[in-house]
Amino acid sequence: MIKSSTNVIGIIFPNSYDALVPELVSVRLMASIPFASRYRIIDFILSSMTHSGIDNISVIVNQNYHSLMDHLGSGREWDLVRKNGGLHIFPPFAEKKVDGPYVGRAGALANLLNFLKAQKEKYVVMSDTNVVVNCDFNAMLQAHADNKADITIAYNEQELPKELLDYQTSDRVFYYTFDVEQGRIRKVYINPKTDGVQNTSMNIFVMERELLIDLVSNAYMQGRSFFMRDIIMPQLGKLNVQAYKYTGYVARISGMKSYFEENMKLLDDYNLDALFAGAPIYTKIRGDNPTHYKDGAKVQNAMMADGCVIEGEVENSVIFRGVKVGKGAKIKNCILMQDTVVEAGANVEYLITDKNVTITAGKEMKGTDTFPVYIEKFKTV
Amino acid sequence: MAKEMIAMLLAGGQGSRLYALTEKLAKPAVPFGGKYRIIDFPLSNCVNSGIDTVGILTQYQPLELNEYIGNGQPWDLDRLYGGVHVLPPYQKAHGSDWYKGTANAIYQNISFIERYDPKYVIILSGDQICKQDYSDFLEFHKAKNAEFSVAVMEVPWEEASRLGLMVVDENDKITEFQEKPKNPKSNLASMGIYIFNWDILKKYLEEDEADPESDNDFGKNIIPNLLRDNRQMYAYHFGGYWKDVGTISSLWEANMEVLDPEHSGINLFDEGWKIYSRNAGMTGHKISAGAVVENAMITDGCRVKGTVKHSILFAGVKVEAGAVVEDAVIMGGTTIKAGAVVKHCIVAENVTICENAVVGAMPTGDEKGVAIIASGVTIGENVVVGPNAMVNNNVEGGEVQ
Repeated sequence: MIKSSTNVIGIIFPNSYDALVPELVSVRLMASIPFASRYRIIDFILSSMTHSGIDNISVIVNQNYHSLMDHLGSGREWDLVRKNGGLHIFPPFAEKKVDGPYVGRAGALANLLNFLKAQKEKYVVMSDTNVVVNCDFNAMLQAHADNKADITIAYNEQELPKELLDYQTSDRVFYYTFDVEQGRIRKVYINPKTDGVQNTSMNIFVMERELLIDLVSNAYMQGRSFFMRDIIMPQLGKLNVQAYKYTGYVARISGMKSYFEENMKLLDDYNLDALFAGAPIYTKIRGDNPTHYKDGAKVQNAMMADGCVIEGEVENSVIFRGVKVGKGAKIKNCILMQDTVVEAGANVEYLITDKNVTITAGKEMKGTDTFPVYIEKFKTV
Repeated sequence: MAKEMIAMLLAGGQGSRLYALTEKLAKPAVPFGGKYRIIDFPLSNCVNSGIDTVGILTQYQPLELNEYIGNGQPWDLDRLYGGVHVLPPYQKAHGSDWYKGTANAIYQNISFIERYDPKYVIILSGDQICKQDYSDFLEFHKAKNAEFSVAVMEVPWEEASRLGLMVVDENDKITEFQEKPKNPKSNLASMGIYIFNWDILKKYLEEDEADPESDNDFGKNIIPNLLRDNRQMYAYHFGGYWKDVGTISSLWEANMEVLDPEHSGINLFDEGWKIYSRNAGMTGHKISAGAVVENAMITDGCRVKGTVKHSILFAGVKVEAGAVVEDAVIMGGTTIKAGAVVKHCIVAENVTICENAVVGAMPTGDEKGVAIIASGVTIGENVVVGPNAMVNNNVEGGEVQ
């Protein structure tokens, strides 16, 4: 058995897939998008890592990372304030020789080669943040060791979200599916447009630290930046690249629509229990008081965080911390992020409000299930 | 480096009038207001008032309280110099003593206080719900050139004879102290919150300890001795919300008052004076289709499928479909199963109330009892628990009065 508490470092890429949710990342990055009423997406991967005993975690940020820095702080909420290891945030230009904000995963890693060389852990777990999971990495690490793999990549069986299928292929956004033969990845498809359930990469990688350093150093010298496309795919025959089938609950954020749907799915107790079945997910504590439902409140099928004051009607909605719903206001099929205020008598449906949005008294606003209306941070409607 | 003022929080009380709630729990650790414990109030007051050093004097069922306080981080009291310290009685070279009384508890920790070389020491009580700015109190103490100040509340005269009263002159200088008098001369009740000049407090603690006849109690010994010596003693009028939650009914009442901040004066939504607590780390709560929620406070981890009216649910409470909760305080992790009816009562942590059980009843006439169910208890199907009942053990069937 691998003792990951001493032998694994975690690396997180918080900007991956930012391009899929341009509205939500205008003031933040993928990792700090609010999710499930009181979390940021990164909470899931961070908590999964710490619960798996990984306590040396590096977050390699690229741009727009103020909200993430603010959220993570010293890492205390995830128990990552440590003498040895703990939480490291690597901004661009973290090491001298790199010449600009990085492109691609390998580019990002080239940023911290010296750091990687200085660590003592044998293994590395790398992950993006757009896939929300509550997983035990020890199982994956064990599979990696048992299979004598060079690299193990997690995938789940699912249909590709419509947004990915519709996405105009660019040179910046890549998603991958696998052909798996007896556990080994034989072929990787880049941005496939195939329907139906397939082996969809979760972009969670396990490998030995030394191997990662070798692969990245070589790629960097040859000017190659994309880990899967430029490093793994050309070496599928040479390296033993194993697929690890993840069967737990997966919420994949691939665009505004899937963001909306994945939040709404958690209103089903079955899904909620599935995502939160494992160890608890930690997040930054705001110190809100409990939510107060006053006279006149009518709430049906809603997930609610603390600190809200509800005097109106809320139905089929996900409500974040500190939201105020005034008298006679009607909220239906909405996601209201932190400190949204819906004043008395307003009537809203299929709305996603970012933080600190105000919907003034009596306003009516309706989106549709295929096209929820998004209102950006600090806007008053 | 000297600290201007440090706080000593008396948390050793057994809280015997809270019965079932304090059987396994020190009174300051008793849950309150949906996501707090009583001790969150004095601790948050300290931090919000700029006091960063707090000693908590405890000796009764300290385990859960110790764990709750931890390194003090939720209150921002994890400090390099100062911070929060739990101070149980300890073994010394010449034997060990339990804390004999409130004054003795402070006496035994003189060396702790001296580490910070404070000018003033504020003595706080761990069984009150109160939002108070202690820095205003200190300003008063300094302005009066006092050696001792006590925070007092004006109470209705008919209640005065149950309390410790300060008789004051026109400058609020204390002239007499009456403990539960038949004929009260004042309606200014002591809140049990004192500011001392440390040199004075130390002198009187040492004197008191040397007196074998003493009860080693602030109210019974220290304050009368200060009066005897004509010390500079002043009463500081406090007009905010204050409640001693030493009994089941007052604890229930204070919780209900949280639901009515406009009238009761206890507003937990005050951004300028936050009350901090250790977080339960659970998901957002969930109100299902078919649930009815009216005037209630609900926090993380709750799942509500039934009816919740005028009640407070702590973290992780489950109310199944068809269950009714009204005028009730339901503490963390408790499950109320389908068809159960829970009214006008306090249900402690991790209780299971099974299908169709009835706990408590709405008050009728003179019958105003608040039923109480102790933590970890299971109330069986169809069991009826009367409004005056106090349940410490599992009940499988029948009625409990």
